[in-house]
This record gives sequence, structure tokens and C-alpha cells, in this order.
Amino acid sequence: MHRHMLLVVALILAAGTAWGQAPSTPSEGESTKDLLERIDKLEKRVVELEARLGPTAAAPSTAPMVSPAQNPTVVEQAPGMEHAQAPNSAEQQATIQEAETHYPNLAIRGFADVDFSATNQPGPVSGFNPGVSSGFNLGQFDLHLASSLSKKITYFAEVTFNAQPTGYTLEVERSIIRYDYDDYFKLSFGRYHTPISYWNTAFHHGTWLQTTIARPEMVKIGGVFIPVHFVGLLTEGNIPSGGLHLAYEVGLGNGRGSILSRAGDAGDVNNNRAWLVNVFARPAKFYGFQVGGSFYKDEITLPTGENIREWIASTHVIWTKETPEFLAEFANSHHQDLLTGQTFNTPAFYVQFAYRLPWLGRVLKPYYRYDYIQPPPGEPVLSETRYQGSTLGLRYDISNFAAFKAEYRNFQRLSSEPRVNGAFFQTSFTF
Amino acid sequence: MRTIRKWLAAALFLSCAFSFLIWSPSQAQTQPDSDIAVVAHPDMPVSELSLDEVRRVFLGERQYWNAKLPVVLLIRAPVARERDVVLRVIYQMTETQFKQYWIAKIFRAETASAPKIVYSNDVEYNLVTALPGAIGFMDARDAARAKLKVVRVDGLLPGERGYPLH
Repeated sequence: MHRHMLLVVALILAAGTAWGQAPSTPSEGESTKDLLERIDKLEKRVVELEARLGPTAAAPSTAPMVSPAQNPTVVEQAPGMEHAQAPNSAEQQATIQEAETHYPNLAIRGFADVDFSATNQPGPVSGFNPGVSSGFNLGQFDLHLASSLSKKITYFAEVTFNAQPTGYTLEVERSIIRYDYDDYFKLSFGRYHTPISYWNTAFHHGTWLQTTIARPEMVKIGGVFIPVHFVGLLTEGNIPSGGLHLAYEVGLGNGRGSILSRAGDAGDVNNNRAWLVNVFARPAKFYGFQVGGSFYKDEITLPTGENIREWIASTHVIWTKETPEFLAEFANSHHQDLLTGQTFNTPAFYVQFAYRLPWLGRVLKPYYRYDYIQPPPGEPVLSETRYQGSTLGLRYDISNFAAFKAEYRNFQRLSSEPRVNGAFFQTSFTF
Repeated sequence: MRTIRKWLAAALFLSCAFSFLIWSPSQAQTQPDSDIAVVAHPDMPVSELSLDEVRRVFLGERQYWNAKLPVVLLIRAPVARERDVVLRVIYQMTETQFKQYWIAKIFRAETASAPKIVYSNDVEYNLVTALPGAIGFMDARDAARAKLKVVRVDGLLPGERGYPLH
């Protein structure tokens, strides 16, 4: 290594001096001769030193790392890569050690948002306190934790701090420990966002991640159309399927709690476990496209003591590229009163279009969404979930990690309530 | 006349010496016309991948080479040509979308960590040869000079007609 450097220096020196030599004078020729003699001496000195240090210093021990059969295009080693071919220095070892995964390796990321809204209808119909029709709102303060406990065991958690009239509530949204066998089988236990909706598992509580200000009505936090959370176990993985790239999730858990919008964190309310199956495909030929469907079955025990069998079937079609972005989900919630045998079907869907505009550094994304939930009369669980509304908005990405969103919404919940027109604003970010 | 020659010689010497001093493998990587090779740890049990499979690996959808060997992703830091090619051909994302993709991926509990960021070909070489399961990208000429294991993409090696990463 040192010898090569010396040779290069000597060549540079020789080139530099030779260039200025012609026609050379006797004194310049003597100087060159002296210089060459000094180089010879230095070269000899290097050889002596290398001999003293032994063979490892003279030749980097990289030969075992190279497999000629795997390198049909191997050419002679470049001087610049010589440095890389001797990963024995303390600095290189430190680099490697730093890059190696150490356990546990907790990483924390946060999401937060601040909102303002104003509507033409005061009070709870617009989501305000009685008599109020506009105001600021501190959204969820969301922390996500991820930590590898070993090469195959990982822990994930998501906690939110939610503003309430009397202070803040802390909610453990997700707490998952997962064991990976390989890509085809991963087993986890904990509290999840129920994987029967694309949105529910794609954006969680990170409002910055989603294009719009709010979740679709059918998967809104605190809603009851689908069970947003699920406590139990989940197996997931890829399905060998060639270019179709199928994947699955199969879960078993407590299902809804005594408060229907909540999972049975502290125990099931009855002896019937909920189960779910979710299968989706991300075909290789249509990168950015995802299509899938899921089934969920549970038995709900209402506060009145009624037992209701619940089947939720859902499907989604997604195009995640932003030019355009397309999200559509449809779900049908089937409820059967186990006492009377009466059945109810409640369809719900949303369709969302967005397009990342190519101008101004691609920071603008206009969007539109239509939400629809229509429970039948007498529905024992979902009677209050009716919703029909449009959302038209614009997202402006202030930076890579922060966005402004402005929306106009026109919606009506129950048919007995007035239609609401409102302007909604949000700044959301990750940190 | 002799003085001028001396000054010229000195200037040439200084420029050569300066060029030598600032020369480094990182500078040598700026070879805009060469292909980008997929390089891997010598013991990685795969020597050929389709472009779709490379994409799945680098999207974090395939996380294990086999049950005992997790994939370790290496991505060059911004500005490197390798990163530009990978983002354009493999991810088909802008720099912003790439960052957001990995934030979302971890947030979805699909993986615990993003690809390791590598700041030079020297470090890339060290990591790809030292970390079992490692896979990354390097200028094909540098990869060949460093005698790294090069993975065929769609059956092709860098430099062959139809090779997709360039």
C-alpha cells in the first residue's frame, strides 16, 4: 500500500520535473538524479519495513472474500478500492460494528397535528360543544415505538395522548410483539388495528401519513362500524404466488368489548372469540396496486344483554402512486340477532382520489373523497352510524415531514339532522 | 525563460499533487455512464433475482433470504448516483416519497428499521462483505474492481444488453 503510494508520488514528482527539464541543464539533471536516488532509498526502506511486519502487511488478506466464479467481470483492482479491500483497520471495524444491529434498539417517532374548523351548524352535529361552531383543536399526540429484541423478535407500540375537557387521556393504541420465522410465517400477540380495512392498518393514528385531514367515516377512531382495535394473536406472511405477490393475515382475539368502539383489552365480554382472515395481492406487474379482501366474525354482547352475531366482509382497491392516488374500500356489516334471528346488512364505502401536481416542487395534492354508510332501520348496533358526505381538499407539503391541509366538507349524519357545510384546516407532521 | 519553466513545472506538480490528495474512491465513483450493480454478501444464497424481486427486497416486502438469514439493506446516501438510480428504477419514488415510505413502513409495524445508509463505496464494500445477508448497490466498475459478489438481475450482469439498472 505504502509502496504504491510512494510510486505514485514519485511518478508525479518525476512527471512534474521532467516536464520542466527539456532542454535540461546539468544542475537540473543532477537534481533529478538526486531525487530518484532518494526515491530508491525510500522504496528500499518500505520493503525493509514490510518485511519486518510480516506477510499480512504486504498483502491485504482479502483473497478468501472473493469468488471468481461469482465475478465474471472482475478486472484488475483499482488503487482506490485497495483501501476498501483491507477491512482490518480499527476505523473500518468500527464502521462495521456501528452498522451491525444491536439489541434492543428502541426507535421512537412521533406524529401530531393541530386543527381548526368552522361549520354552519353549531353543536355536536358538527363535532363541537353545544352552541359552538368553530374553534381550534389539538389533535392526537402520537408516539410510535419500534424495537428489535433479537434477529427475529420485534416489539412495536403506539400510544396517543388525547385532549379531553378535563385533561389528557393516554391510550395504548397498539402493543405488538412479533416473532418472525421467515417471510411466510410471522406470529404476533398484542393489540392491533384490526386488519380488515386498508386505511386502518396503513395510516393508523399518523394524520401526516394520510392525504386527508380525517379518516373515512367507516374506519374513524371511536366509531363502531368496524372494530378499529383487536386484541389477540395474528399470523401473517407472504403466500408463494409468483408475480401475484399474495399475502395473508389470520387473527384470533377478543373482539369488541362492552363499549362497542373498544376492543376487549381487559378480557372478552363473552366466550366467543373473534377471528379474521385478510388476503391481499400486490402484483409485480402493477407496482403500486393493491387489491384485497377480508372476513371478520365475532359475537357481540350488547349492554342490554342481547347477543348479536357479526360478520364483516370488506374489500379494497388501492393505487398508491400519487399520480394519481386512488383508495376505495367497501364493507358490509351483517348482524344477526341470536334471539329473534333477525338479520341486518349495513353497507359502507369510501372512494378517494388525489393527484400530486407536478408543479411547484410537487408539494400540492388536491383530493376528493366520498363517504357512505347506510344502516337499515332497526339495526341494533349501527343505527347511529349513518353518514353521507363529500370532502374536497388540498394538501400542501411544507417540508418532507410536515403538511398543511385545507378541506371543505359537506355531510349529513342522521337523516333527521341538518346537512353540515364546513371548512377544516390541519397542520400535521412527524418528528 | 528558465524561470517560467520552473514556475510551470511547479504549478503542474502542485496540481498533480493536489489531484492526488483529493482523489478518493468516492470521487472515482462518478462514472455517469456505467451500470449499477446489485452487490451482496459472498455467502448470500441468491445469485440471481428478477427486477421485481429486487424491488420486493428493497421495499422490505421480502425480509429473509431464508429462515436463518435476514435481509440487510444498504442504500447510498443522497446525492450518490447509485441512490438516484435505485430511487428511479427500483423504488420509482422521489427522495421525499422514499423517506415517507420508510417512515410509514416502520409505523405499520412491517419492519423495525429502514435500510442502512452508506456514505461511500468503501463503507459499502466493508458492510456488504461483513454483514451476512447484506445487499446493496455499487457502480458496476467499482464492484468489479472490488471483486464483490454481483447479483444478476433478470439474468443479466451489468454491462450486458438490457441490464435494467443504469
